[in-house]
Amino acid sequence: MTQSPAAGQPAAASLERLKAQVLEAGLCVACGACVGLCPYVIFHDGQVAAPDVCGLEDGRCIDVCPQAPVPDPSQKRAGLLQALGRPQALPLGPLREVWWARALCPDQQGRVQYGGVVSTLVALALQEGLIGEAVLTQAGPEGAPEGVRARTRQEVLAAAGSIYAAGGALSALNQALAEASDHALGLVGLPCQALAAASLAAHPRHAQGARLKLVIGLFCTLNLSARGLRGVLQAAGVRGPLTRSDFPPPPAGVLEVTTAQGTTAIPLEEVRPVVLKGCALCPDLSAELADISVGAAEGRPGWNTILVRSEQGQRLLDLARAQGLLELTEMPGESRQHLSTAAANKRARAAQAWKERADG
Amino acid sequence: MADLTKLKAGELALLQGNEAIARGALEAGLSLAAAYPGNPSSEILESLADSAASAGIYVEWSANEKVALESAAAASFTGLRAMASMKQNGVNVAQDFICNLTISGTQGGIVLITADDPSGISSTNEEDARFIARLADLPLLEPSTPAECLAMVKFAFDLSEAIGNLVVLRSLSRLSHTRAGVVPGPLPTGRPQPFWDPKQIWNTVPVVPRHQAMKDKLAKAGQIMAQSGFNAYSGPESPDLLVIASGSSALYAAEAAGLLGVDRRVGLLKLGCTWPLDQALLRKHLADSERVLFAEEVDPFIETEVKALYAQQAAELGIKQFFGKASGHLPQIGELTPGRLAGAMAAILGLTWQPAEPQYLQAARETISRLVPFREFGFCPGCPHRASYWAIKQALSLDGRQGVVSGDIGCYTLGVHSTGFRRVNSVHCMGSGLGISSGLGKLKSLGFQQPVVGVVGDSTFFHAALPGLVNARWNQADYLLIVLDNSATAMTGFQPHPGTGQTASGQPGTAVDVEQVCRALGIDCQVVDPYDLAAAQQAVYQAVQGEPGLKVLIFRRLCALVQGRQGGHPYRMRVDQSLCRGDECGCHRFCSRAFRCPGLNFDQAAGRAVIDEVVCVGCGVCAQICPAGAIRAEAKEAAA
Ligand SMILES: Cc1cc2nc3c(=O)[nH]c(=O)nc-3n(C[C@H](O)[C@H](O)[C@H](O)COP(=O)(O)OP(=O)(O)OC[C@H]3O[C@@H](n4cnc5c(N)ncnc54)[C@H](O)[C@@H]3O)c2cc1C
Ligand code: SF4
Ligand code: SF4
Ligand code: SF4
Ligand code: SF4
Repeated sequence: MTQSPAAGQPAAASLERLKAQVLEAGLCVACGACVGLCPYVIFHDGQVAAPDVCGLEDGRCIDVCPQAPVPDPSQKRAGLLQALGRPQALPLGPLREVWWARALCPDQQGRVQYGGVVSTLVALALQEGLIGEAVLTQAGPEGAPEGVRARTRQEVLAAAGSIYAAGGALSALNQALAEASDHALGLVGLPCQALAAASLAAHPRHAQGARLKLVIGLFCTLNLSARGLRGVLQAAGVRGPLTRSDFPPPPAGVLEVTTAQGTTAIPLEEVRPVVLKGCALCPDLSAELADISVGAAEGRPGWNTILVRSEQGQRLLDLARAQGLLELTEMPGESRQHLSTAAANKRARAAQAWKERADG
Repeated sequence: MADLTKLKAGELALLQGNEAIARGALEAGLSLAAAYPGNPSSEILESLADSAASAGIYVEWSANEKVALESAAAASFTGLRAMASMKQNGVNVAQDFICNLTISGTQGGIVLITADDPSGISSTNEEDARFIARLADLPLLEPSTPAECLAMVKFAFDLSEAIGNLVVLRSLSRLSHTRAGVVPGPLPTGRPQPFWDPKQIWNTVPVVPRHQAMKDKLAKAGQIMAQSGFNAYSGPESPDLLVIASGSSALYAAEAAGLLGVDRRVGLLKLGCTWPLDQALLRKHLADSERVLFAEEVDPFIETEVKALYAQQAAELGIKQFFGKASGHLPQIGELTPGRLAGAMAAILGLTWQPAEPQYLQAARETISRLVPFREFGFCPGCPHRASYWAIKQALSLDGRQGVVSGDIGCYTLGVHSTGFRRVNSVHCMGSGLGISSGLGKLKSLGFQQPVVGVVGDSTFFHAALPGLVNARWNQADYLLIVLDNSATAMTGFQPHPGTGQTASGQPGTAVDVEQVCRALGIDCQVVDPYDLAAAQQAVYQAVQGEPGLKVLIFRRLCALVQGRQGGHPYRMRVDQSLCRGDECGCHRFCSRAFRCPGLNFDQAAGRAVIDEVVCVGCGVCAQICPAGAIRAEAKEAAA
């Protein structure tokens, strides 16, 4: 268990703690939750930095960071789920429905990652007014991913496809929350981002956080540093912007990247050094704090797995079904078992990593 | 500065020490003056520049001090009288030339003025430049008052011509900037026709015989100086304590004796000619006194030499007690004051000395902090350097590899303080930042992994930075040089420099362009406006993250003070306090705590930021850093 700080020791300022315990410790996963919450934390080219001293002792930056040390990380998750009125459920998180699915929208072809469920649901939520704006992740001018804000289907499709690098998209959420508007906001985010977003939304000193009305979570086992990935691509001789990237299921053992020049398979050994060190602390495979989570469908290319978790998530899926936007099929029990095992394994690895961190 | 030729001969005038030096040079028939600006010497050349047209002389700001002295030497070789002035650091820059010139010798009278800055009030170092006289066997004069400045400069030119060598005159901050009554003499009419006899060769070989000639010149100078009347004794015939003093310290010593009421027990030997020392005079006064105190700034120059002289004659002179820096009665560092000297005299004479009410200093400090608002040592409002360091700080922080910044000499040296976000990691002398960057930029092969950035001002770039840059290019050093081009020598008072395309006398010269110089060296070079914080940050980030190699960014934006004189800045600023987040989490006074322009204040009562309209110049830069869009910039015309 994490040791409490020595009695009588003055509480260090929030940002300075975040710097020492997360940023300088190399554990930041660039979720972006602390970025733009205030001007002391900045983000560029996949990198989060805090150049100035803030000094405030009860700041929110450390509270919203998914990587900040807490005495009991699963307690923290349980508390946030409770605040959302959802039960804690292991290992996959709260579940109302589970499906395999793919989108029936021809214009998404070739742009979406797998089944295009995420893009379809986001576009639908915008169209139906569930949200007024969605925060997504898209490649910036230098190729590194960054947060973008979308209001139209066109903008949603422009951000389709997975970028296997950390892009700090929650900074765009912070930016949207800081503006004097009141429309509901949606987010597509990785499990760490779903956790940070839940912390933001529930923060007692962040009234605007309640505007976050929809979180679509992505499955995730690990992420790469944007600059690290650039180096790997350079070393592999890959030039030009990526049109697609994927970690095909085992036993492929590669990162597959596609550019205008064609597709290159980069062995995992070359990728491993640029995996974010902080990902080892993440217990969550399936974004348990999302309203609805989406991942690959094992052994079924072009399809997604969908986990519906909340009322809001259910509403969105029902709408999609009613409008004939998705083709749904039952997820085979064996695949569901595999997913649960993978999720449980991730939790076990993370628990060990938190323990090692606490023991120093 | 004023045209010094307008002063009437014989009529008392109130002159700064530096002006008195300039007037003395004019009276001596000076034809060429050259200098590089630096406190406390700058006004010498400035007042000569303003007198140049009426006096019909040539005056220039040179690219550096060595070039200034070389130009002066050129005039001397043609038979004209010439002068080079500089601060103590400049003597170091010119030193190699000085040590060769003294062997070649000179023709027309030539004087080197060094204005030293004890306590380093406006310097990066504290240094006693009198060392150059002993090192190069040059006659040295040390005036104590503006009137003496004038008289000694005139004497120096005659002396130089009499011995055929350079003469050094040393001023001090207190003297250069003190105003006192001076009676100017007449100005000469006519000047010699400059001519260099082609049979005449000014060089240094054969070295050994020439070295002997140089020694002989110094000996001859000593004889002439002994007759000058610049060394004077006042006091009883056999004083209880003999004080040997020079420069400002001679005045402090007289004042200290007065304060202690020991004028009749203490004798003051005031030396105006301090190298070579007048041995006969010193021997006489040593014989008359058992105890000797030395008062001089900063090094024990006279002290050490007089003790050496005594050592040779100790048998005849008998036992003496020497007091000063070596004995610990006076500090080895910093300026002297009448109080410090009174303390030393009292200790030697066994008196008690109470400098002032013991609590006086404490009370004064408290009063000041109560009445005067706190202002940190910082860049001016609207200063482009603040924006430049902001961009550098942000970019290096995002880069994340703990980049280091090697600094140089100018206003931007303040980058070591909070005003520059402590983003400068080293500062030494003019141009050395580039050499250090060049060295760091070659350490990669030895395992050094941090990015390297050098910053240099536009004036410093031309002064002494070029060889460092050439070296880096030649040896393929990997670093980013940022030229902080504010088109001014702002630190020393806005003198023109090669990049400004103006000469000392305000005539058009040829502007030398930093960019073209870099491009000619084959260096990748880009011009950025540091007021555009995002663009400047991105340029630095891309440069340090990009392919290795030498790169130059020119951060070009006019000095805020020069801009102020040329019509000012465009905006009227205001904080919309309804948007400002104040010290809440989400900002925590980012503008006044992090950006720190003195134009940004915190309105304690409102708990919100506020623009200090008296201080803010309206550059508009801070509007870019406010997270709430609360800092508003309106065009001045619209606001008026
Ligand atoms: C870093 C990363 C790791 C992943 N790991 C797994 C895994 O181990 N197993 C698994 O089943 N699925 C994983 N996924 C999810 C998978 O890649 C698909 O995103 C998901 O299945 C949805 O597919 P789709 O066809 O509906 O996507 P699309 O309709 O194409 O939508 C993809 C969405 O992902 C968002 N996005 C893209 N890159 C990022 C990013 N770097 N950070 C945050 N959001 C981003 C886009 O904004 C877009 O809205 C991962 C995704 C990422 C980004
Ligand atoms: S979030 Fe709050 S506490 Fe943290 S750095 Fe910003 S202002 Fe300071
Ligand atoms: S993990 Fe997220 S909240 Fe934590 S430091 Fe990194 S970007 Fe900020
Ligand atoms: S940066 Fe903006 S919000 Fe923050 S204190 Fe200054 S004016 Fe107010
Ligand atoms: S506009 Fe802002 S940065 Fe510029 S001088 Fe005024 S307060 Fe300072």
